[in-house]
Amino acid sequence: MRQLGLGLTMAAAGLAMALQTARADEELPIGVIAAQSGSFVSAGNTIVGAANLAAQQINDAGGIKVGDKTYKIKLYIRDNRTDVNVSIAAARELVNDIGVKAIWGTETHDFSVSMAKITGPAKVLQFSGNSSLGAVLDDKAVADDGWLHYTFQSEPQEWQRSGSTAKGVLSLLTPQLKSPPKHSVVFVGNDATGQYLSSHYVKALEAEGQKVDLVQYPPDTTDFSPLLTRIKGMKPDIVHFWYNGDSTLTAFPQALKLGVAPSYFLFGVDPGIYQERSLKADVPVTMSCVPVCWGSSPFPEVKQYFEKYFGLGAAKGPQSSVSLLYYDYFFWYAKALEKVGKIDDPDAVVAELLKSDYKGVVSPVPLVFNKHHQVTFATEVCMVEPNTSDKFKCAVEQPPAAPPPGDNGG
Amino acid sequence: MDIFVQQLVNSLSVASVTILIGIGITLIFGLAGIVNFAHGEFLMVGGMATWFMVGAGMNFFVALVFAGLLVGALGFAAERCLFRFTLNRPMNGFIMSIGLSVILQHAVIRVFNEFQKSITDPIGLVWTIGGVDIVAMRAIVVAITAVIVAITYFGISRSRYGMALRASVSDRDTAELMGIPVRRYVTGVFIYGSLLAGIGGALMISLFPITPFTGSVIIIRGFAVSLIGGLGNVGGAVVGGLVLGLVDGLSAGYGYPEWTDAYSLVVMILILVLRPQGLLGGTLGPKAS
Repeated sequence: MRQLGLGLTMAAAGLAMALQTARADEELPIGVIAAQSGSFVSAGNTIVGAANLAAQQINDAGGIKVGDKTYKIKLYIRDNRTDVNVSIAAARELVNDIGVKAIWGTETHDFSVSMAKITGPAKVLQFSGNSSLGAVLDDKAVADDGWLHYTFQSEPQEWQRSGSTAKGVLSLLTPQLKSPPKHSVVFVGNDATGQYLSSHYVKALEAEGQKVDLVQYPPDTTDFSPLLTRIKGMKPDIVHFWYNGDSTLTAFPQALKLGVAPSYFLFGVDPGIYQERSLKADVPVTMSCVPVCWGSSPFPEVKQYFEKYFGLGAAKGPQSSVSLLYYDYFFWYAKALEKVGKIDDPDAVVAELLKSDYKGVVSPVPLVFNKHHQVTFATEVCMVEPNTSDKFKCAVEQPPAAPPPGDNGG
Repeated sequence: MDIFVQQLVNSLSVASVTILIGIGITLIFGLAGIVNFAHGEFLMVGGMATWFMVGAGMNFFVALVFAGLLVGALGFAAERCLFRFTLNRPMNGFIMSIGLSVILQHAVIRVFNEFQKSITDPIGLVWTIGGVDIVAMRAIVVAITAVIVAITYFGISRSRYGMALRASVSDRDTAELMGIPVRRYVTGVFIYGSLLAGIGGALMISLFPITPFTGSVIIIRGFAVSLIGGLGNVGGAVVGGLVLGLVDGLSAGYGYPEWTDAYSLVVMILILVLRPQGLLGGTLGPKAS
């Protein structure tokens, strides 16, 4: 009888421990909407890769302690198939059916804005790495009753990124050229993102004293030789390839064969890819990454991050660094939840994010959100020595204090 | 003047790969009566296979042959397992081919990954003649295309097989009564068109990087070329490719560059309105029965 009693006591204790463990492992549902198929898959997979790594690291470290409970992140990953309608449907499902507390994604402005129209009314936080959100994140939109109150832009404003990029490119190239560069051609894909980004970059170059011509190409162009021949006829000092890394990697070798310009800038091409492709030019070439380079970063945190990121099986691509537009914000969000002390008070979480900072991987300086829910960090610009594929000189340029003349900042 | 001549040279090489895919489509669409929207993905598979083989150390020109054979085998499998069941219902085949194109894109992503692939220029030379830069590999692509066009043209217009094939297109029932194995000929045309797509993919990756989605872009131009020239007409595909190449090259050089695609499609629409049978005339394409 005593043995039975002892057994029952032990069973009860075991059950209590199991319940406690179960309670300790409560789930924090977080949604990820990204292209895992379709033409944006290259960028979309990086969002999923970053989310998986961040969730694994947070969970392995014991989870998120909110009040007297500990939450483990449970990711609900949805493929938007590079389709805005699928993105909207996925957002509806994650918000209404799953009940996620926040959503990370997605690759492009239009999709993110469409998703925000669902996450906003449901008070679900959204972290999107689109600089073009600057066009809609204003005082009214982010106000307490605004439609973007719960949306955060995890990439700097475009005038900031363009300003620091233009400055970095010119400072690296000028000593390499026979005379200071005066004439730049910006070569960019003619889609919504390309138009938005180039409008800021042209102004940033003009603010640096450049005469700028803008040449736009149809998206999905593969043979750039006619357009590059046209640009060659303009006799530029620098050709700046914006913004799609894949298109740039197609156009740039063609430009080299045609001898289009005495120097180049490749936006969104990582030194790691330049090295992997064994690209070589007999003229100086600069490049920058979104947001930092995995192939040649001066920061040990970035190097460690990419070792872990690629260690999880993510492929090395021109857009792998885009993952860093999403990774840090998991930890920042977790920190905000712990500070607020509950997971069901999104207004308090938004307020906490706006008043807190976070020192992450993407920037050696702590990240802060401005009043329009946008972060600021520097841009890394690298230059490869002529006739080499692996000798890089990199500089980190801080963004300018204000938009250049003619740029309204939005 | 140098720039203008350079644009003409560019136009010729722009046209070459388009002509190759256009010939494949014009044969399969115009003669075999199959609307294969996955033909662009066949080209992409050819390019990916070439990338893989060259990466494994194979000579590019050997890889080109293997890529053609591989995609020809893929075409054989697709025709035998899928399209033969839709010969009498071309619209079913068309929809099925869209599905096949998506499947092939994601099969390639699964096997390799989603990132673009490129190979080192197999020749790596640029000739400068009178201020005009001629990329040697582009000249070779033009030459290979010319040889394939000649072989295909004489095969279709002069050989016994070609005559039987054209007879099958004119009147399938009578051709069958005359002992022509029409079904087998359809299979043969499909395999040959697919083989050309494989070679086109290999040539394409020698000039430009390709992604799993390259095919879905180039297929539109392929159909435009085959319709402009006249369905089933090899010479028409060449003329159509050259027209589009010239329009592309010169509009990019002297028009609004961002409208480059629109110019060539406007030309296509004009030609189809003014000459519905195409510039050189052709078949009426697939017929439902």
